[in-house]
Amino acid sequence: MAQNKTKHNFRRIDLDKNILSVINNGILILDNKLQIYSFNKWMQLHTKLKENDVIGKKLDELFPLPNKRTLIRKIETALTMQTPTYYTASVSHYLIPIKINQIENSLFEYMQQDVSIIPLANKKQFVAVILTDQTIMANTNALLKKEKEKNRLQYKQLLASSRSAAMGEMISMIAHQWRQPLSLINTLIANIKIKKELQLLDEEIIDNSINKIEDTVKFLSHTIDDFRDYFKPNKVATNVNISNLFGQSLFFLKNELKQLNIEYDVQIEKDIDIYTYKNELLQSIINILKNSIDAFKESNKKNKKISVFVQKEKKYILLEIDDNAGGIAKENINKVFDPYFSTKSKNGTGLGLYMCKTILEEHLHGKISLTSNTNGTKVAIQLPYKV
Amino acid sequence: MSTDILSEDEKDVLQELMNIAYGSATAVIAQMLDAFASLSIPNIQVMQVATLLKTFQELKSTSYFFASQAFHGEFDGESAFFINEESAKNLALHLELENRSDLDDAILELTNVLTSSLTSRLAQEMQTEVGFSLPNISKVPLNKINDVASFQIYSKVIVIDTDLNFKDQKINGKIFILTKDESIQWLKTKLNIILEELI
Repeated sequence: MAQNKTKHNFRRIDLDKNILSVINNGILILDNKLQIYSFNKWMQLHTKLKENDVIGKKLDELFPLPNKRTLIRKIETALTMQTPTYYTASVSHYLIPIKINQIENSLFEYMQQDVSIIPLANKKQFVAVILTDQTIMANTNALLKKEKEKNRLQYKQLLASSRSAAMGEMISMIAHQWRQPLSLINTLIANIKIKKELQLLDEEIIDNSINKIEDTVKFLSHTIDDFRDYFKPNKVATNVNISNLFGQSLFFLKNELKQLNIEYDVQIEKDIDIYTYKNELLQSIINILKNSIDAFKESNKKNKKISVFVQKEKKYILLEIDDNAGGIAKENINKVFDPYFSTKSKNGTGLGLYMCKTILEEHLHGKISLTSNTNGTKVAIQLPYKV
Repeated sequence: MSTDILSEDEKDVLQELMNIAYGSATAVIAQMLDAFASLSIPNIQVMQVATLLKTFQELKSTSYFFASQAFHGEFDGESAFFINEESAKNLALHLELENRSDLDDAILELTNVLTSSLTSRLAQEMQTEVGFSLPNISKVPLNKINDVASFQIYSKVIVIDTDLNFKDQKINGKIFILTKDESIQWLKTKLNIILEELI
């Protein structure tokens, strides 16, 4: 019986030793003065030091440690608390400098290590220090970080391009608004010149013309103010009446709708108010309406029509903007929200719908979808009652 | 008896266990930092993660160091330790740390000590064992707190919220122990066994 027990113990020790020598981790046993009591095979192979040469020596005599005081603190903590303490590769990189020569690990000169300091339950003054090679993981993380930074820069550039595209769009809309009043001023001036040549100019005509020119200039100035106000991003959300919002969108687009002879039909349930960022929503709606208007410029349709339909659902409001401008080609439908994708023959930056999607989904927490057939295109937007 | 909320008695027992566990943690941390530390009496609640996130939003500082550590066993979950920038700066000054990595490491150590003292003691009282993963750290601006992946895997959590204060150093942090539904059930059963033994 006693013999069996001895045999069992021997086997047990043998097994532990075997495992210690083949395991793919560095394991050493230290006391709180950093003196080494055990140094497994892995440690010997990676540091090129034999166990006999290190036993009894202090860890900091053999290796330049990053911070001796911290290591002693961690060992003391592990011993007092009887719980493991750690170094992580992501923060501390390594405890024992082990050079790596593999080509694929070229991002780091030294092996990146997770380190666990484990108190030995039966021997109160010793800890086992276990090293795990995390170089591959650290490489992957470093690469991911690089990629993330690259994406962030790309997004920043995209945002800058989108802003200048929106600015361009705004200038083109201002130009539309200004065309008629400018030609009115032109006509009034020409009229004065002719009357002067014919010596028909009297004070009444001059006064009348000046008044009209003054009014028109005021209108031009107002237009600039309106655009500037509406295209400034809102910092705080407010209550927005959807019916009023579509009224405002019409202000920006009515000239073009009239010029192209497009019918604009709006059906909105009364008193739909949502709490959101007003100018961002207005910009997105103008952008979508402008896309429909632009689509009509490239089609020969008669009875041109844009319909807007808004209704309350339980958790959100549904906005549908529908046109009969001939639709989007099948092969393009999945790309319309991609940045830099445009089907417009001129002046298309390909950022309009991309920006709409970003604003509506990321800032306003809504959803946008688009369906199209040979007759026309429908854009559906869901928006929460409160952003 | 509701199945997912702790009763007053259960909370009481848990609170008592926490007080014992935090007592030993405070001593170790005080020794580690060579300063007088105090932990506020833990406030125990079961709440939806969404409510917890709202609590985080109400923390006033703009940016936090967020360290977390998972623990495993019959009772498993994750602890989350928050320390604001100012406190982290004071911690670095106090420990004479030279760079950001050393500071991160010190915060991880604080997290580890708090987590392990708390959960090991709880496990011991409940006659079970608990193992730990390596802690990890990130710096999270409060407006990004919803994106912290850890919170997305929990629906309901036991929140054990305590303030760690080092009076002279102006260092304070908050630690939350987060567990999932199954562990809440397990904890309830164990707390009730302890309760019955007490009566």
